[in-house]
Amino acid sequence: MGQIHLHGIRKSYGPVDVLKGIDLRIGEGELVVFVGPSGCGKSTLLRMIAGLDRPTDGRIEINGTDVTARSAADRGLAMVFQSYALYPHMTVRQNMAFGLQNARMAPAEIEARIVDAARMLEIEKLLERRPGQLSGGQRQRVAIGRAIVRRPTAFLLDEPLSNLDAELRVSMRAELTALHDRLGATMIHVTHDQVEAMTMADRIVVLRAGKVEQVDTPLNLFNRPANLFVAGFIGAPGMNLWPGEATGDGRVRLDAGPVLAHPGPAQPKGARMTVGLRPQHLALAGEGAITATVGLIEALGAETVVHGTLTEGGARVLAVLPGQLALDKGDTVRLGHAPAALHLFDAEGQRLAGADAA
Amino acid sequence: MSRVTAFLTRRRGGPGSILGWHWTDIVTFGWLAAGLIVMFGPALWLILSSFKTPAQLVEFPPSFLPFEARTAVVEGFDEPLPLYVVTDEQGPRTLAEVRRVGTVAQMVDPANPAEVQRVDIADRVPDRQFGLALENYTEPFVHFDFLLYLRNSVFVTLVATAITLLTNSMAAFALSKYQFRGRNAVMLTVLATLMIPLSVILVPLYSIISAVGLFNSLWGVILPTVATPTGIFLLRQYMLTIPDELLEAARMDHASEWQIYWRIVLPLTAPALAVLAIFSVVWRWNDFLWPLVVLSRREVYTLQVGLNTYAGELNVQWQYILSMTVVTMIPVVIVFIFLQRFITTGIAGTGLK
Repeated sequence: MGQIHLHGIRKSYGPVDVLKGIDLRIGEGELVVFVGPSGCGKSTLLRMIAGLDRPTDGRIEINGTDVTARSAADRGLAMVFQSYALYPHMTVRQNMAFGLQNARMAPAEIEARIVDAARMLEIEKLLERRPGQLSGGQRQRVAIGRAIVRRPTAFLLDEPLSNLDAELRVSMRAELTALHDRLGATMIHVTHDQVEAMTMADRIVVLRAGKVEQVDTPLNLFNRPANLFVAGFIGAPGMNLWPGEATGDGRVRLDAGPVLAHPGPAQPKGARMTVGLRPQHLALAGEGAITATVGLIEALGAETVVHGTLTEGGARVLAVLPGQLALDKGDTVRLGHAPAALHLFDAEGQRLAGADAA
Repeated sequence: MSRVTAFLTRRRGGPGSILGWHWTDIVTFGWLAAGLIVMFGPALWLILSSFKTPAQLVEFPPSFLPFEARTAVVEGFDEPLPLYVVTDEQGPRTLAEVRRVGTVAQMVDPANPAEVQRVDIADRVPDRQFGLALENYTEPFVHFDFLLYLRNSVFVTLVATAITLLTNSMAAFALSKYQFRGRNAVMLTVLATLMIPLSVILVPLYSIISAVGLFNSLWGVILPTVATPTGIFLLRQYMLTIPDELLEAARMDHASEWQIYWRIVLPLTAPALAVLAIFSVVWRWNDFLWPLVVLSRREVYTLQVGLNTYAGELNVQWQYILSMTVVTMIPVVIVFIFLQRFITTGIAGTGLK
């Protein structure tokens, strides 16, 4: 059991609304990632679920029970903090045992759970050490271990990987995902790193300024972003977004010059819209619709990232081209794309049309 | 050892300068020496003086080291006689004084006790040697209720310090880790009491103690002193540095607020608690005015008040006051020597001066 339902969660600090009515259903065993730029309220939302903060308005249900008024300890959740929050004066074993002792569990049961969790996380040799004697990755494991021994309804992870170096972060990411598969428990993971979100999540909740922008699987977010914000936020490097005007015959004239056929039904002539195109969907083509001047070239070996400007109009264009290319700064290239790869957003930034092309 | 010497005698002046001394060396060593004298001079003077006899304490010019007069047992006299070195026209010699009348002393040669010589007291100096008047120390232990006073002082110091640590850390915990309306106002009020000296509240405090029946009780000394603004401030500043996430983690771990305080916050505040403990021990041990007001029976005197009994209305027994002052200093000095590293790290950690 590990269903979490949020109904109209609001949080205000004085006149500042941090969360503006969040509704969310998280199913049992799901790994849900809250992602968004800093200040979007994702950590605040997690703290509400944990019970560390009280929502100004709204209801939180866990397994169908309203827990809004319950204290953090009585919600049956476990949290891994960004700073790990290990008790510095206790050994790893004491850190893991603390919560169980407070719940008045039998010592034999506590020991069994600690041994179990330590084996799972490969920290058996560290049990008698103090947090100060551990490396960042080891502390991370201990923090997760402290959550595991509680056998919680759901795990809440607040940017747990942000204090690790890049290499360790990648391996811990995989380990966390593997751990989720093994435990089968509900997990809510908060991060500002969209790559982390894409690689780990069953479903991603994209937040901005206290509102949910879109909730969907990683690939659906990538392929069918609901609005301009999600389109720009998900995917690296970011999507090319060009404003333009419908010509009325199923095409769009970009402010930067080119005229492109847009997907979906024809829009009324003169309607403002924004066209989005992922850099990966551009390819060198002799008769491509887009002509660009090469500015900066990032040769990554397997692929080449070209930062350029549209020759007409000068809007920025980003293309990720496979392989190693003999291009120089200042070269003019013609770029083509499948018409179906275009995303179309209306004047308010909401999705109008776009293909599901991967 | 040689490295210590090398460190202590390091100078800026090199071989090229005059005698290897730069002017800043002279200023530095002069300043340090002056500081050493200012800091340790009075203490050293106290210790040396505590070994002097009453006569030597009042003599002028004072001597630096304690001396005792040499005496000789002379045939025909029951008591040992004090010896003097006499320098007059008959040449220098050592004589024992029998009695003194005005400026003339009757003296005898210990080797020839039959012949009494008359010597002008201007022509003689006492024959003295370095000696410690240990009776200054032994006498109070026998005739003075030193052990009783010591027990009272130890009781007051230990109990007051324990209660101080407990109450102040609880107040500091609330003032640093809970958000509530008026928190800053409470903190400011606590700090504001720093500005009120004891002498201002002495009379009302006395009324309260008297009204609740704690007059002439050691608890009357202990209780009014246990809540110290300095202690609360010091601990609060330290607790502010403990991350809130630790407390939140503990809350998720089913810890009650008391457990958070007792098992998480207190152990982590240990360095600041050590500092406050040292301060509290020194304060309570050296307390004089308040115990003097509360305690009027000898059985409940603390050491500092007990010492005061040597200062009578008509005469002051300086030798005992000095010696017992040295004795009462010892615990405080020991506390400082062993815990000084806590003081420096603890104070550095709290930003307190």
